[in-house]
Amino acid sequence: MLTVAESRTTPTGWTLRAVVSAHAAAIAGQPVFAGVYLSGDFDGLSLHAAGANVVTSIGYLQLIVAIAVWARLRQAWPFLATAAVVAAETVQYFAGLDGTLWLHLPLGVMTIVAVVVQFIDVWRRPLLREEARNA
Amino acid sequence: MRDGQGMTRRRVLGIGGALGLMAATGLTSAAALARRPAATGAELRSAVPLPPPFQVPLPIPAVLKPVGASGGADRYEIIQREVSAEILPGVRTPLWTYNGTFPGPTIESRRGRPTTVSHRNELPVPTVVHLHGGRTPAASDGYPTDLVLPAGWPEPPQPAHTGTGASQPHAMGHGGMGDSRAMPHGGHGGHGGPVAGAEPGPTPMHGMNDPRAVVSRLTRDYTFPLDQRPTLLWYHDHRMDFTAPAIWRGLAGLHIVRDDAEDALGLPAGPRELPLMIADRAFAADGSLAYPSLDPTLRQRPGVREPYLAGVLGDVILVNGAPWPVHEVDAARYRLRVLNASNARHYELEAVTDDGRRLDLVQIGADQGLLAAPVTHRLLPIAPAERYDVVVDFSGVPIGSLVKVVNRLGSGRTRDVMAFRVARKAADDSRIPGALSTDLPDWRRSEAVRVREFAFRAGQMHAGHGWLIGGLPFDPARTDVTARLGDVEVWRLVADVHHPVHLHLVGFRVLSRSGRPPLPHDAGLKDTVSLRPGEGVEIITRFDGYRGRYLFHCHNAEHEDMGMMANLEIV
Repeated sequence: MLTVAESRTTPTGWTLRAVVSAHAAAIAGQPVFAGVYLSGDFDGLSLHAAGANVVTSIGYLQLIVAIAVWARLRQAWPFLATAAVVAAETVQYFAGLDGTLWLHLPLGVMTIVAVVVQFIDVWRRPLLREEARNA
Repeated sequence: MRDGQGMTRRRVLGIGGALGLMAATGLTSAAALARRPAATGAELRSAVPLPPPFQVPLPIPAVLKPVGASGGADRYEIIQREVSAEILPGVRTPLWTYNGTFPGPTIESRRGRPTTVSHRNELPVPTVVHLHGGRTPAASDGYPTDLVLPAGWPEPPQPAHTGTGASQPHAMGHGGMGDSRAMPHGGHGGHGGPVAGAEPGPTPMHGMNDPRAVVSRLTRDYTFPLDQRPTLLWYHDHRMDFTAPAIWRGLAGLHIVRDDAEDALGLPAGPRELPLMIADRAFAADGSLAYPSLDPTLRQRPGVREPYLAGVLGDVILVNGAPWPVHEVDAARYRLRVLNASNARHYELEAVTDDGRRLDLVQIGADQGLLAAPVTHRLLPIAPAERYDVVVDFSGVPIGSLVKVVNRLGSGRTRDVMAFRVARKAADDSRIPGALSTDLPDWRRSEAVRVREFAFRAGQMHAGHGWLIGGLPFDPARTDVTARLGDVEVWRLVADVHHPVHLHLVGFRVLSRSGRPPLPHDAGLKDTVSLRPGEGVEIITRFDGYRGRYLFHCHNAEHEDMGMMANLEIV
């Protein structure tokens, strides 16, 4: 049944899976680099900063893909979830630059959780048109 | 929505709502629990009534007269002794002082004219004097184990290899001893380590060996060549394990270095040049200075009570030893030479008029002397041990009104620092030249022969809480950094919480902060740089001047007493 479902995921759906997967992989590096940095390795900071640029960029890319998913597959959920994640990442980016650690640390953990939940969500079921699934 | 997968829309909304609620709860509790802005340390509460602000006149520490001059050098004498003084109106406070006052007397020196200060210790505990920011040979730099023992303090145990009696003096062949006795000494640097012996009576500081310590009895001559840029230095106690409580009790004073070039700039001078030593303290019910020492006699057991491990903050702000003082000024430019002599408190200073206008704080100098050009601030952050040389112009302020110096990081009473009352119109021929100095070093990264990295972090030390540099607590017998005389090096310093990092012997320049350009107040030549939580700072310096054993450490005085120091050997 799962293989049947997989075969019906559309190219748009596959694109969302790819970008969410890249997003999850990239964001997993952020706490790693932060730990390296706070252990006294100064280069950890530039890795963390570069990671923030990559993660945030992927986030905006995912937002575009999620709009396509909404338009083509008539599924709004990926867009709404991505919009929330991108908003959090934007706040997170500036909280990091500003050194606002009371916000940066918990928000970072929550953002990672949110991306992981999205990752599970896009892979646990086929991504198809809403009316096709309802039919 | 997820029909066929066993997920109803209601369940999805339920899970989403729960996650959203967790996120919101987490962030709001972080916002509520965390200190915003971040602060490192815990505040003591005074048990006596505190005076209203801006009542006590600002004292100016007296300039010490030399007892003699010979061979192109000035000689001073300072007696370290206990006194009782009135800091809060009507309250007697026992203090440990240099020459009976807090702050101690100000020493004024000319650049390149050696100054010898003979310190006599009449306090109940050993002392060490360090001239902060001084370019000083190692023998006079006040290494933490180079103790001056008071009368009646037991002879330190001798290291085994000397095989001599405890009372036998040794000629050590170093430059800073004067007429005092010197002996190698092996019993200092306790950090609360295991007690290595069972001598009766006071048994000061056991644990780590420091075979290189040079201990003297009663007096010691500290000789400062002062071959350095003119600036505001300060001298304070630097005794192993007990620096923080000793400074807290009053062992701090100013030392100003001047030269002809600076005098010729036309900066505000004379009564319009004011040294401002800002320090926070707290007062116990009996009027004494409250401090959470584990051993209030400061003889054996170092350290503070658990809640104060991150630093001790007071609820009274003293400037030159007076609580929230006020100073009458002319409507003219004033040169304020600001030192943060607090153990752990950071300030963000601004000068605010009665009608809420913020005056420009025109920075002309940093820790190690004049900037190349003035930098204008409205808000000036200052970490423990940092100095800022600023000019404030009161000429536009209505006569009779107050200009309050406010600490934006403070709250309640600690928000106020001091005030100026603009008393009269006056002529002002002072100026702030656009070019202040041309001798600032401009070391480039390409000149650096080495890049070193240090993490300043909390950690475990001798089975207790401590503060570590590169994962290690201070050990006088371990050389952490060996640098060659004349080498340029880049150091990368990373902090967990606030750590004002100070290098002995050398000045440095700030290259970057968290990968970005330095902040406006990082300008010039510094000897202490303020690392904020999670921040990384790159500094560049040349290790020149003298060979020998020096220190670098966190100048949060509690951190420094709890391990956050390291040895810097110049070879």
